[in-house]
Amino acid sequence: MTEIPVALLVTLSVGTAAAVALALLLARSMREARRLRQRSAVAEKDLQDAMRHQAALATRAQAVEAEVRHLAAARIPDLAAALAHPNVPVRGVADPAFRGTELDRSLASVLDQVGDAVTKERLRVDGAAQSAMRGATTTIQALLYQLQTRLQTMQERYDDPFVAEDLLGADFLNEQAIRRIQATAIVCGAWPGLTRQNSHMGDVVVGAMSRLVGYARVQVTNQLRDPVGIVARAVEPVAVALTELMANALHYSHPELPVAVTIQQGNRGASIIVDDAGVGMHGEEMERAQRMITGEEVLLLTELGDPPRTGLATVGQLVKQYGFTTSIETSPYGGVRAIVHIPGETLLTLLDEEEQPMSPMAPVPRGSASTAAPAPPHGQPAARPEPAYGETVQLGAVQDPAADAAPPVRPVAGPAPSATGPAHAAPRVQDPGGPAHGSGPAVPDGGDALPRRRRRHPVPEASLDATAAVSPEPAPHGATSAPQAPQPTAHPQASPEESAERWAAFQRGTASGRAAVDEAAGPGPSHPHADPRSAEGNPQE
Amino acid sequence: MNPPADNRRLVPAYLATTGRARPSRNTLDRLTVLHGASDPATVSGLRPEETRLLELLRGGALSLAEAAAHLRLPVSVVKVLVADLVDAGRLMARAPIPDAELPERQILEKVLNGLRTLKSS
Repeated sequence: MTEIPVALLVTLSVGTAAAVALALLLARSMREARRLRQRSAVAEKDLQDAMRHQAALATRAQAVEAEVRHLAAARIPDLAAALAHPNVPVRGVADPAFRGTELDRSLASVLDQVGDAVTKERLRVDGAAQSAMRGATTTIQALLYQLQTRLQTMQERYDDPFVAEDLLGADFLNEQAIRRIQATAIVCGAWPGLTRQNSHMGDVVVGAMSRLVGYARVQVTNQLRDPVGIVARAVEPVAVALTELMANALHYSHPELPVAVTIQQGNRGASIIVDDAGVGMHGEEMERAQRMITGEEVLLLTELGDPPRTGLATVGQLVKQYGFTTSIETSPYGGVRAIVHIPGETLLTLLDEEEQPMSPMAPVPRGSASTAAPAPPHGQPAARPEPAYGETVQLGAVQDPAADAAPPVRPVAGPAPSATGPAHAAPRVQDPGGPAHGSGPAVPDGGDALPRRRRRHPVPEASLDATAAVSPEPAPHGATSAPQAPQPTAHPQASPEESAERWAAFQRGTASGRAAVDEAAGPGPSHPHADPRSAEGNPQE
Repeated sequence: MNPPADNRRLVPAYLATTGRARPSRNTLDRLTVLHGASDPATVSGLRPEETRLLELLRGGALSLAEAAAHLRLPVSVVKVLVADLVDAGRLMARAPIPDAELPERQILEKVLNGLRTLKSS
């Protein structure tokens, strides 16, 4: 029986120990479970975070991808368009969230690099095209100039009216061809291809006009007071620029409307104003034209359109290289007014009209009254308002310093100083009846700083009659003037005039002899004319 | 510095007559003598080249070729100018005075031979 309690005791103790152990275990496992629960909660949270993060990343990756697609599909085409047409805007990043981020900056730098590369390539290609054109135009231009010389020689040679007319037509066509080739060459960076001599402004304007179809519509008015010319290096550039401006004026106005061209002299230079009454330009065109003619922009052939409109681009190139200026505005006539201003300091000079007469086709300047009005009566040579203009221009190079420095030679002696009229004609010939204004170039006034216009003065009929009256017999007339000619040798400065005068005296002698024969043989009117012809026409030979 | 200046004409001749070279009258030639009409009163309404031609002739008569040389224009063009001005009554043109009769060639040769014999004897 005892064994049972022992057994029970043992059992109980074991059971207790087991229970304690179990309790301990239980407590531990419960702690463990709690810890595990906590950890799993954290893990779950982490997992959720990770999930969220992954989702955000995925969204972002999509956004970046979309941005790149946007770059390729929209922004680079925008850039390409903007490079050709500067008014096209280039779009920014598609997602405003990216604005200012690293991504935005790198994409912008991609655009920059593409833009640079494209621009460089365009310049290179354009440069190649331009040099190819230059090579071609230079040769063609030289050939056309040779053709021009040939045509001109033929015009002198052939009198047959039909041949002559065809030659004139061919010359005109050739002139137009030269103009086109020259403009293209200049746009492509070539020089005008020709250096001329110092030329009268009237000649330059008329020469420019002659290169255009419809030149008959151009009406040139010359308002110059002095015989102003353009220096050699700028003659052809100014002529080309004027040609293009006049071409625009003619092209954009009705074929029956005139184009008014005015040459004006200012204090610091001279201006040529081209006015048309045509269709005009609207604001944007005007702005573009003004940009073009300043010559500040880099010029690309590809920007001139197809076919290229070279006119204003040519003007721009020339303005940039030669230092005259042009401007365009709305004309009071309703069309466009273009003004070419030529600075006096650098590009103008005074020309001697005896040495270098104006072309007969050039309009006569306002200053020369002798051609506008019939010759005034004897003793009053055509009124020339020179002294009134004493304060005129400060022009750069004075062409004729000798004439400037030469003191005015007054009539020293002579029986009829009263008949010689105002002193500014400065007659040198001590010819009793010799008309003062028939004796070659007039010497400028002493008080005048600038050399003045010297026009050949026509001899009025009345003075010729006086000549005939004073020296009725022609032979002594020549004989009296000849020995007196060497008298002015005291003035070594005046030798050209002197020799001219000597020759004139010689001519007068022979001419009066001829006139005597003529009088005996031919009708009356030729007699008085023979004399002044020699005095007037000869010295310039 | 600059290339040598070219003497190339700046103003072409066709500008004087707007391309015409067939005068309205065919009586003109290089030696036709021109002189201005007696009344030089009205010079207005003329083109510059016509004014210049009349101005040139105001001093006296010139042959057509001389006038062309003074104007530095081809003779064919000046003919047109002159014909226009004659038509307008501003200019007179008359045929050239013929050369005086020259001695016959045979006589001249005889004189030459005579002179040579004189010299050699």
